[in-house]
Amino acid sequence: MRAVVKERIGVFHPQGFLDGTTAPALLTLEDIHATEALNIDMLLISLKKVVFFNKNGLHVFIQLLESLHKKSGIVVGLCDYDDKQFATIMKLYAHNLNFSLFRTYKIATLFSATMKEPKNKKSLLVWHEEPSQRSALAIELFDRGHTPIVCQSKGEFTEKKNQTELYEAIIYNTHIGLLGSKIATRVTGNAIIYTVGGFLDAEISSNFDFTYHANSLNVGFTLFIFDTYKVVSMNIHAVNFFSKLASSGAEYGANICIVGMTFEKTPVTFKNELEDAGLIFFENMDDILKDKELIKELGGSGGTSNTNKRALNKVLVNELPRFINATVNTMEMMTNTKAEKQDVKVQELKIDDTQGKLASSIGFYGNIDGLVILVFPLSIAKKSCELLLGEETEEIEDILDTLAEFVNIIAGRVKSLLAEQNVSVDITLPRTYENVDDLLSTVEGRKGVQVNLSFENEGFTFFLTR
Amino acid sequence: MVTQEEIDSYINAIPPSPVTLKKVLACLREGELSKASQEAAEDPALKLYLQNIVNKPIYGFKNAIKDIGQIFGVLGLAQAEQIVYNYMISLLSPKKWELFTLNEKKFSDIQDSLGIHWKKILIHKGIEDKTIYSSISLLPASIIVCEALFKSNKENANLLKANKQIDYNTILQRLSGMSLFDLCSEIAKAWEMPEVISRVVLASSGKVEESDANIIELSKWMHLLFFYQLSQVVCIEAGLNDFIEFNIEYVQDIYDDFQDLIMDDN
Repeated sequence: MRAVVKERIGVFHPQGFLDGTTAPALLTLEDIHATEALNIDMLLISLKKVVFFNKNGLHVFIQLLESLHKKSGIVVGLCDYDDKQFATIMKLYAHNLNFSLFRTYKIATLFSATMKEPKNKKSLLVWHEEPSQRSALAIELFDRGHTPIVCQSKGEFTEKKNQTELYEAIIYNTHIGLLGSKIATRVTGNAIIYTVGGFLDAEISSNFDFTYHANSLNVGFTLFIFDTYKVVSMNIHAVNFFSKLASSGAEYGANICIVGMTFEKTPVTFKNELEDAGLIFFENMDDILKDKELIKELGGSGGTSNTNKRALNKVLVNELPRFINATVNTMEMMTNTKAEKQDVKVQELKIDDTQGKLASSIGFYGNIDGLVILVFPLSIAKKSCELLLGEETEEIEDILDTLAEFVNIIAGRVKSLLAEQNVSVDITLPRTYENVDDLLSTVEGRKGVQVNLSFENEGFTFFLTR
Repeated sequence: MVTQEEIDSYINAIPPSPVTLKKVLACLREGELSKASQEAAEDPALKLYLQNIVNKPIYGFKNAIKDIGQIFGVLGLAQAEQIVYNYMISLLSPKKWELFTLNEKKFSDIQDSLGIHWKKILIHKGIEDKTIYSSISLLPASIIVCEALFKSNKENANLLKANKQIDYNTILQRLSGMSLFDLCSEIAKAWEMPEVISRVVLASSGKVEESDANIIELSKWMHLLFFYQLSQVVCIEAGLNDFIEFNIEYVQDIYDDFQDLIMDDN
């Protein structure tokens, strides 16, 4: 069985009846390894379409998940179950619940190590019978930038849960098992926030996802914030880590900020050293996030041009037909219409009229590296999304989310085409732009190959750069 | 991916039902078992199919039966008609399966398993209508249609499925407005199957509105039975577990009965 992988969460969706005979056929070690290779933070099994399961069947899944967690630290668990299924799972694993349980997939995404914050986020209502789990849920959510409201009694929860409109999600029948050691990462607008805590030492380098950070720089992020409210102190290894990060980001014009750090138990000289390395300290997160001018200055508005002006190279140009074919084929598949190539030029990205257009981008790295950008007129974007959404939509948020999936599909196709040529690449998380001007500022000064295509007389732009 | 032209050409390519089969079915509908067996014996392929099928362990006959008259006799009118329809559907199946890991035997085993369980359900519900017995035969046609339409689009579909929880039936419906079950209905129409067969199978997709309460009830049992079958190892290994979407809500009210009748018995 193949997992659906989105935003670094892999989910298997078995259907029907699950027992000790069928479970090993539904999910194999090879399936798990193939999904793990896709660079995931979390692996879940959805029970949404499972009408029946027994202990033997579930146990096969749990064993596979737990072995994965043990080996790689990936968060594992079950999701999308109903109240009855939750009660059964709790009964079966009452004394040995090392995996996580998320009532819905949406709730699981709130606990992912890497996540994108919703634009208009509301608070989260949290309830668990066990006080320790209540606290664990709240802490993990808070670390990921959410605002949990924890109910202290069943009565309070029953009363509050009816006011669904007040909450982003209502979290109950959810259990935190063994979590990963990766540093929680969230994307807020055009800033990336890393949450760290405790004593910062050499471990920070092992728990920090350097590849993700490098890819974020490549796709144009320039504001990185370390949330250090829960940091007790740091040693010289952590100082070196931050200094190295700041110098490696310099060529991209990146700003690295440290928020909430106190120096009661950390030598103040470390602060001076880090400031000399270019890091900026703030007392509160709101000092940055609520100051639009400052955000713009630091590059978190999405419109900051960066200094990455690496030229296209021969290797990338050689692979260009594969990129274009993958894009055209995917567009044709999604819209069920034929594409016509208008022109191909080596130039900076040029979009004549940015109004009414949306864009998405995705980076790739490995044997070759680069960035694919797609600029859609709204009508084509909507049409491309219909197959994935199953309906027409006017909601820009939905369209942007689907465009992210769409560019992910294209990148997946490119990845497999390149693999056939023994060129190995991995892909970054996709990024979307409601405002194409922001995108233009991000890639300003970067030359690339621009291919203008037409779908049913509507223009569509493909741009490949480094 | 799958274009309207491909769908139209698939529908246009559905062959007419063979004359012998028409005659056999007509006799069975009239209740003339011996005449039906004489007609069936005229077709060597059908004869061999019937001989192979009924001697499978799933049918539970102690001694090997070779004579067509005997075969129809032990099966009875309703099940004989159902098996002849199974044979008709199997004529549409590809020589070589590419999308699903199936072969002639495995596909036939799926048909038989569905047929045996469907019989059990109809006995449980006190239904003797031969047409209803036969309706289960059309259901696996959805697998054949899916294979035919998606075998050359396997890579595209897999790419889509890796990014979104989406099944072949939904992909087809979103691209063309037609489902695999609609195409099964086209087969039923081309082969002049009674209309009720199409209606039960269409409703068993769990996605089509149906006004007849009896058909709705039967379609729920058929939907759940199909997923029971698609959860068996042979189907999981064939890649069939998620080829269509299971609608749990649709079968919620009959689930306990199903469990008592089918699962507890196995």
